[in-house]
Amino acid sequence: MKLIDALELLKKPVAKGARSFHVILACGFTPLHFQTFLAAELQERLPGRRVLIETGLFGDLAGNIERLQTIAADAFAVLIEWSDLDPRLGIRGLGGWRPSSLEDIARSTERSVLRLQHALGCAAQRLPTVVCMPTLPFPPLFWTAPDQAGSIELQLHKVAAALAATLTEEPGIRIANMQLLDEVSPLSGRYDVKSDVVAGFPYRLPHASAVASLMSGMIERTQPKRGLITDLDDTLWEGILGEVDVDGISWNMESHTHMHGLYQQFVASLAGAGVLVAVASKNDSALVDRAFARSDLLLPRSDIFPIEAHWSRKSESVRRILDTWNVNADSVVFVDDSPMEVAEVKEAFPDVECIVFPKGDYQGIFDLLKRLRALFGKSFLTEDDALRLKSIRNSGNWRDSGEPESGSSDDLLRTAEASIVFSQTRQGEDAREFELVNKTNQFNLNGRRFGEQEWRSFKSDSGAFVLSVSYKDKFGPLGTIALMLGRAEGRVIHLSAWVMSCRAFSRRIEYQCLKHLFETFGADEIAFDYCETPRNGPLREFFVQSFETVPIPSFRLTNEQFSSKVPPLYHFVEVKCSV
Amino acid sequence: MSENESRLIRCFGSVFPSLTEDEIRAASDDATGSWDSLTSVTLAAVIQEEFSMEIAPEDLPELHSFAAFRSFVHRINPAGE
Repeated sequence: MKLIDALELLKKPVAKGARSFHVILACGFTPLHFQTFLAAELQERLPGRRVLIETGLFGDLAGNIERLQTIAADAFAVLIEWSDLDPRLGIRGLGGWRPSSLEDIARSTERSVLRLQHALGCAAQRLPTVVCMPTLPFPPLFWTAPDQAGSIELQLHKVAAALAATLTEEPGIRIANMQLLDEVSPLSGRYDVKSDVVAGFPYRLPHASAVASLMSGMIERTQPKRGLITDLDDTLWEGILGEVDVDGISWNMESHTHMHGLYQQFVASLAGAGVLVAVASKNDSALVDRAFARSDLLLPRSDIFPIEAHWSRKSESVRRILDTWNVNADSVVFVDDSPMEVAEVKEAFPDVECIVFPKGDYQGIFDLLKRLRALFGKSFLTEDDALRLKSIRNSGNWRDSGEPESGSSDDLLRTAEASIVFSQTRQGEDAREFELVNKTNQFNLNGRRFGEQEWRSFKSDSGAFVLSVSYKDKFGPLGTIALMLGRAEGRVIHLSAWVMSCRAFSRRIEYQCLKHLFETFGADEIAFDYCETPRNGPLREFFVQSFETVPIPSFRLTNEQFSSKVPPLYHFVEVKCSV
Repeated sequence: MSENESRLIRCFGSVFPSLTEDEIRAASDDATGSWDSLTSVTLAAVIQEEFSMEIAPEDLPELHSFAAFRSFVHRINPAGE
């Protein structure tokens, strides 16, 4: 982004009454154009919000972090440069670069790092915090020739890297990825000496823009994709199964097909991180079964569900996979080596991210892996990520047991050995809860999404409750599948958010949720902060079919109404923390 | 209007969003209330980026009006006139 584009973007009017999105920016230099770029990048990501950025004092990074963290805001952005760790590592101070000073610079840097570590740890407890470690080159203060790294120079890098590594262990902190920054903003094009000396702003404009883009992406992250549908022949492996048979397909160095092995390894890593993986292949299904029996595959059969191998159109396979996963098309990526197949799927599902697998192109395949990492990358892994595929398979078992999706029979429910745990986790981070409330669409009371800071505020509100619901039965665990947020006022519960994963449908968990609320709070009524969304039809249907109530904003359900309609519930219920 | 002037007006417009085109042509640090040291630095950065040129710190105090910037740009980039 150019500076003029950033300024023009910020000129555009924001809707009247738009909520503000308040970011605290802490750095040791004059934020000047960086502030403009950061505001513009965030404004672009948050068109319905009014982005406001507050900054601190020049030359006092640690002090700024300590002071600014007390301000109420949505996020905290921190830029560290070498001169913040010791002014002699910049060029605005004249503190001396004699070889005899270098040890002292290293010691003082370590002291600064300790102070920063403490300040950032405190800040992260109050606000979601993103940190960018030093991006600028050292000035020529070391006595070694430029092509030789000196001991002190390496020590300084080590201290900074150790700080970054320690900070990543803090749940509320995200660290900017320097490898990505190196790609988009080469080191030689970052430092503006004149601007540093004259204005106290050390970044060239393209570098300021690149850092702002990186940090805004961490502050306001787009939802990662949830599922990958991949082709087999000339994609997951090299060769056409129907032509060369099982032993003819390959993914190894000897056959010059190693990049397919790399793709398998990558897809297996996605599966391990909770990404759903399915296959859509025009193939003979028996042959495919035999291919997946090969022990040298890097992506085992158990990581894939379902496999659609037949001669129907690819879009038909994609439709069936989306149904099985019960996810929206816009959260799925489709990869196939045939541009024609890709076009056919894209036409049927415009929201699916469709990518042609660049077979035979080493660099192209490597770039594809990087692109997929960008599409699927997430900020944290949760225990539920490991459960996702298993629970979808279990849903298949549940369906295979002969029960219709809606209204599972009492026999099945009675013998399912189902147990539900209600937990209240007011303190600390729970990544799964945050993820669930922000990505559930179908069984969702109002589609309300939470920013990180908003979520933290809600959880710390002593008058509010946040109940998470986890479930398991004899088919396996589903993990944390529902969440209820609200407050009890007298004998009325005001439910401001209620979400349940579509994996948990047909188990009467939603009834158990309401029963738990009535019983735990001794309530006569629940008032629902309902809002119809384009996708929350399943929640609406639940109220219509179960209680003959068409939900409208602020509708209420009495305990009497509930008790007269609730079907038999067979779950074993455990409450981990009473409200 | 020359190409230089049109681009310069866009630069000024991005830094002084409330000014009309005529007001931009008449803009100066004396006459334009929102023109302060910070906007001077921002204006210089936008113009340097837009015209791919360097403005030396010692030239900055002379660039106190739209007319002064127009002359400066003309000197550096006569082809845009």
